[in-house]
Amino acid sequence: MSSVQLKRLLVALNRVKQHGYIPKCKQSTAAAAQPKKEPEKIEVFVDGKPIHVEPNTTVLQACAVAGVEIPRYCYHERLSIAGNCRMCLVEIEKTPKPVASCAMPVMKGMRILTDSPLTKRAREGVMEFLLVNHPLDCPICDQGGECDLQDQSMAFGNDRSRFTDNEFSGKRCVEDKNIGPLVKTSMNRCIHCTRCVRFGSEVAGVSDLGTTGRGSDMIIGTYVERLFMSELSGNVIDLCPVGALTSKPYAFTARPWETRKTESVDVMDALGSNIVINTRGGDVLRVIPRTNEEVNEEWISDKTRFAYDGLKLQRLTAPMLKNRDGYLVPCDWEDALSVVAERIGRLGNGSKMAALAGRFCDAEGLIALKDLMNQLGCETVCVEERFPNVGASIDLRSNYLFNGTIAGIEQADLVVLIGTNPRYEAPVLNARIRKAFIHNDLQVAVIGPKIDLTYSYEHLGDNTNILSDLASGKHAFSKALNGAKRPLVILGSAMFERPDAASLYASAAQLSEKLRDVSSKEDKEWRVFNVLHRNASQVAALDLGYKPDVKSIIDLKPSLLYLFGADEGLIKREDLPKDCYIIYQGHHGDRGAKIADAILPGAAYTEKHGIYANTEGRAQQTHVATTPPGKAREDWKIIRALAEVCGASLRYNDIDEIRERIEQVAPNLTRLDSIEQANYFKQNIELLKQHQSSFHNQPLTPPINNLKDFYMTDSISRASLTMAKCVKAVDQQLKSQHRN
Amino acid sequence: MSLAARIPQTLKQVRPVLSTDHAEAKRRVLNLYKIWLRQIPYIRVDYIKNNWSEIRLRDVIKENFMRNKDITDLRVIDLLVVRGQMDFVETAEIWRQQHNAATLDSRKDTYKKKPAGFLERFYEGH
Repeated sequence: MSSVQLKRLLVALNRVKQHGYIPKCKQSTAAAAQPKKEPEKIEVFVDGKPIHVEPNTTVLQACAVAGVEIPRYCYHERLSIAGNCRMCLVEIEKTPKPVASCAMPVMKGMRILTDSPLTKRAREGVMEFLLVNHPLDCPICDQGGECDLQDQSMAFGNDRSRFTDNEFSGKRCVEDKNIGPLVKTSMNRCIHCTRCVRFGSEVAGVSDLGTTGRGSDMIIGTYVERLFMSELSGNVIDLCPVGALTSKPYAFTARPWETRKTESVDVMDALGSNIVINTRGGDVLRVIPRTNEEVNEEWISDKTRFAYDGLKLQRLTAPMLKNRDGYLVPCDWEDALSVVAERIGRLGNGSKMAALAGRFCDAEGLIALKDLMNQLGCETVCVEERFPNVGASIDLRSNYLFNGTIAGIEQADLVVLIGTNPRYEAPVLNARIRKAFIHNDLQVAVIGPKIDLTYSYEHLGDNTNILSDLASGKHAFSKALNGAKRPLVILGSAMFERPDAASLYASAAQLSEKLRDVSSKEDKEWRVFNVLHRNASQVAALDLGYKPDVKSIIDLKPSLLYLFGADEGLIKREDLPKDCYIIYQGHHGDRGAKIADAILPGAAYTEKHGIYANTEGRAQQTHVATTPPGKAREDWKIIRALAEVCGASLRYNDIDEIRERIEQVAPNLTRLDSIEQANYFKQNIELLKQHQSSFHNQPLTPPINNLKDFYMTDSISRASLTMAKCVKAVDQQLKSQHRN
Repeated sequence: MSLAARIPQTLKQVRPVLSTDHAEAKRRVLNLYKIWLRQIPYIRVDYIKNNWSEIRLRDVIKENFMRNKDITDLRVIDLLVVRGQMDFVETAEIWRQQHNAATLDSRKDTYKKKPAGFLERFYEGH
């Protein structure tokens, strides 16, 4: 027994002596009354088994709690309830008819029968009606093997058919729609569940899809032929329970049981959406989302889903060196590494060397490159995206993270977007904002151009003065801002490219800190300041100590430049001295490889075990789905081998050892799937006080503001044919007479 | 369960495979060694393509036995003896092929070893 417990016991004994009983402590009764009274749980019976559920759950959810899966087509937990497929009919005692369980709220003492003869008959009936108009083309249907209709007709349907087409009138025929290069439609197969329509209007916020007609004459479509203009359009493929909406690039390529599934992480944006990569025989066949409530729920953007064909095109498959005529010619690894090492050795020390890491680099490659460069005496190791050097800058993690977390958006009541267009910089995050906007009455304010974000917002303007007005409380919106209990300020990383990035950053941070003072009354742990990055490698690079300053490379006038997947074209040949030797390591022959003198082919994100930290600072890892093509190797191994040829010693030989090294530098990167707390907002604000603000007069405009520019932003998507088709389709749509 | 009750359990004698003490195990090993040695003239004929001399073959057999000289666990020794007997039968009955018998001899083992150094492995593609 501890001393505290002993003391309490003695006190109680004393009281017993005085009063003859233990009197109720006043404080404790007050505390007991404080917590909100939880709504009383309702008892219902599923097949006779009693369970307790919250009052406003549906019968279907109650059955799920009891472990009984009710068949359904139209019901989807992330969409509104439609109740039109009738597949979820169950019998409830003392009701005259079977009821649609997805739309029926539970009532006290309800006795639900999920396996009664009436329920079975109801399901059989519904299946029969659905199949009357469903074509029997399973052998040529892309959904075959993962089709809800197939599975449920096996499990719940009748084993013989009453369908005889006496009149030879045929089944219902519906014209196929052309809704773009991503989603293939086969409307005869549609069972009118309207999941796609609800997804479009609720999640994606694009009401292109709709229904016309009633009953069995209902048609899903766009009314006039037009493109389904959404950056999340691919998700309707997963939502469709039958083969009416399937993937166009994946059409007729594979059956689900033939493919090997690898769980991985996306790198097309800085969100780190969880994905599953389906491969067969070393080919990436498709990318589908993996549920992670904290990051992407179950959505992914079209670039994540469809840019994979870029992984097969424009690849660097062998090391290359420039010959005397100035052409890059393929060679062996021995030759390439010795030539590069000789070039590095010729410099003597690393003071005239520089390295630049691009957007797809994993933490392993980043740490190996940094270790190598530092050992050679080079300190100019930069990352492509900038970050203002003001206050504590990148020394404090909280300065460059999305501190509020993606899931935190759902708790927020006000979001201020500064110079960012989340719809195209992080489409899934934008869907999350829209979700909060619809369900939680989230208020959104935008400082930047007037753009369609799929939800309505307060447009504060695109002027830099607005920030200081907001901070000082002069702005008309300040009142709403200060009244917010859980505000979020989201600063787009595109703003760091501006000449006045430091001032912008400082004023955004100061504004956030001011809001945090107010919100801390409500929630002490609430974090207001967020940076929305665009590059998957950025947070890991900053964690590992990369300099976010490309300009320092140009200022250095280096004699040797190591480009590690740097394809943004930020450094041009003209910016460098004439004799500068450029080494490019990466997976695509893009802008970086174009200016290189030596090329070391690396692996893409589907071909290596790599750690990526998303904009929240959440470390996640990719897994090997296919092997790198040709002579390409995993990135950190190339650097490790080069180090050995150079005579530098990197003391790691396998993936575990290099992760130990990462742990020494940034332990948060090895704690996968968790967010390490980052704090010190106050201290940073103190440092920022020294900063003298001076703004430029340019409007705060993020670089990508329409769907056309969203598709091709990096070396993989620039190589992708599907993405090129999307750009073309959007172009045509904008020219067509049916544009919005 | 108290600690006193647990001790006898962990120290319990394990059931022997064949031999109950080291002397018996040694006898089994020596018996096996002898039948291998007696087989030498036949091995030379049966696996003639390996071109073994009698002296070399004696060394090969000794080498194979000496590889396990540090094993003290009786049960392991017994199992190795059983395996050695099975190997012997396979060799004597000529169920093995010429190249398969060659694996007995470390000098004839031509299997290419994986490189150990990082750089060599990198060039090989591992």
